[in-house]
Amino acid sequence: MNEFVITVNNKKKTVRVNDNGTVELEGKVIPSSITKVSPHSLILRFGDNVYEAATSRINNGEIGFLIDGWYFDTTVRTRLQETAYELQKNKGKTVHHTEVKAPMPGLLIKIKKKIGDHVELGEPILILEAMKMENDLRSPSSGVVKEINFQEGQSVEKGASILVIE
Amino acid sequence: MFKKILIANRGEIAHRIIKACRELSITSVAIYSEADVNALHVRRADEAYLIGPSPASESYLNKEKIIALAKQIGADAIHPGYGFLSERAEFIKMVEEAGIAFIGPSYKSVEMMGGKTDARTLMKQHNVPIVPGTTEPITNIESGKKIANEIGYPVMLKAAAGGGGKGMRKVFSDEEFETAFTNARNEALKSFGSDAVYLEKFIEHPKHIEVQILADKHGNYVHLFERECSVQRRHQKVIEEAPSIAVDDQTRRKITTAAIDAAKACGYYNAGTIEFLMDRDKSFYFLEMNTRLQVEHPVTEMITGFDIVKEQIRIAYGEKLSVTQNDLQIHGHAIECRVYAEDVDNNFAPSTGKITHHRLTSGPGVRIDRGIDVMSEVPIYYDPMLAKVICWGRDRNEAIVRMKRALCEYQICGVTTNMPAFNWMLKQKSFLDGTFDINFLENEFLPLIPDKWKDQSTEYLEDIVAVMAALIKNSDSEVTVTANNFTSSNNWRTQQYE
Repeated sequence: MNEFVITVNNKKKTVRVNDNGTVELEGKVIPSSITKVSPHSLILRFGDNVYEAATSRINNGEIGFLIDGWYFDTTVRTRLQETAYELQKNKGKTVHHTEVKAPMPGLLIKIKKKIGDHVELGEPILILEAMKMENDLRSPSSGVVKEINFQEGQSVEKGASILVIE
Repeated sequence: MFKKILIANRGEIAHRIIKACRELSITSVAIYSEADVNALHVRRADEAYLIGPSPASESYLNKEKIIALAKQIGADAIHPGYGFLSERAEFIKMVEEAGIAFIGPSYKSVEMMGGKTDARTLMKQHNVPIVPGTTEPITNIESGKKIANEIGYPVMLKAAAGGGGKGMRKVFSDEEFETAFTNARNEALKSFGSDAVYLEKFIEHPKHIEVQILADKHGNYVHLFERECSVQRRHQKVIEEAPSIAVDDQTRRKITTAAIDAAKACGYYNAGTIEFLMDRDKSFYFLEMNTRLQVEHPVTEMITGFDIVKEQIRIAYGEKLSVTQNDLQIHGHAIECRVYAEDVDNNFAPSTGKITHHRLTSGPGVRIDRGIDVMSEVPIYYDPMLAKVICWGRDRNEAIVRMKRALCEYQICGVTTNMPAFNWMLKQKSFLDGTFDINFLENEFLPLIPDKWKDQSTEYLEDIVAVMAALIKNSDSEVTVTANNFTSSNNWRTQQYE
């Protein structure tokens, strides 16, 4: 038996996978099996129901699912990994770095914050031009701008760390 | 008939035109930029030629190079698709001077409809209703205020050379006028190289209704009824349908007549669309004419059973229209959803990358027009529209139900798409009862991002997804345990993920 903790839509779910072809979810034991039909699609048999999903990126326990017209991003950890993760998170709580990375290559049109400015979660902080569109990038966390690594008018590659919020 | 048509475009529309060519036994020629080497339109064409580097200005907009290529390979016509060079009068002129047929209207018609104030003047002369306002640019603040008071606030200031929401300002009172006027002029100058702005009455709850017309070079005109495209964001259409739930028979007669009058006013031939704003009282006003094939043409094809692209080619060749008005009838209802590579919850940021998985949806009443396939690259250089899902039903409700079903089946992985957002849109009361207007997304959807639009009813899927994730992770760990067992029947271990 293996126990996993899955984070989906900011909720934690615990799933026990038993050796006898069942899983336990919220106290219920349900016969379950999974079949991979192509590198990106799978079938789940779950009790009497069948579900089909497409999977996107899988790395380090992060799995994306497309099912019935909805996308879900999940993080899956063993119980042990989850405990270690929580411990790490709490330890790091006093200094929490968040990097704002370019989600796509483009041209930095505007940086709305200066070093030392306070930002709120979801607040627009950058304008990045890509595909002929100006895109507002929003802050992934609340905090204070610690570093700004680019200037307005510069081009950035996908994944470039534009600024750091602490 | 033409022997060989060069398609000066990319993506789904190039693919669509290739299909028409094939049905007419015409050789299709694709052009492509470096970014599009393996794009679907390249794979599907009979011939394909590299036209230049990835930026559109050096490839799909390179007029001289495209025309030189067409001459060199013996193409006798060029289809411009939409966007890119499709509404550039000077391009049409160059094509025709090179002895090549342009599949579209004359450059004169395009010029006449290109400038907004010129088009308004022309429409006024031909009794096509225009939004009350000026047909001349406003030259000073005082005369602007005077006109604003005559037509009544709120009013809109609009760039004469504009489009896409730039150089536009809504004004509610005399006090706001000066600032708005100065801002609109500056923005217009910056965006379009001309600071001419004109004034229009602001219609508060308009629907976007447009009429598809077709005309040949012999003076015959038909309309193919209306489409409604009120679901839009920043003037970018997202859902279109035909017919409009808000257009009754009497309004349909009036608006289609106005559309044909508009087309005649500019001596139009080939396919074109006249866009109107329609108020709650069903009065409608000319907005602009799109002198080209439109993205949303399939919904009209679905309800009329008529192939607009093939007819465009026949018209350009000089043939008479193959239908009369009496041949055309509305049959059922069709809806189109535009699938964009964008991250709705990240303020609609475009998503680029490789399509790792692509499975089409199909079944009764479903049509997909697409520019992507599995392993396609979605480059940063062009419009992020990937595909259009079009569904037909005997009535609007059946079309909507089919659309929901089709979208659940359509799988695209590798880039983020806006597909889940349709689950929300297609179930809103104002969408279903037809009272929605062009402010629908802005007023009802945008306040719900990020994430708040995601439905409670999908909560059960969270459990399903959690079980899937656990079983995948579990089989990963089994692999580790049995790592030396090469006869392992575990089918997860050889799989590659991206």
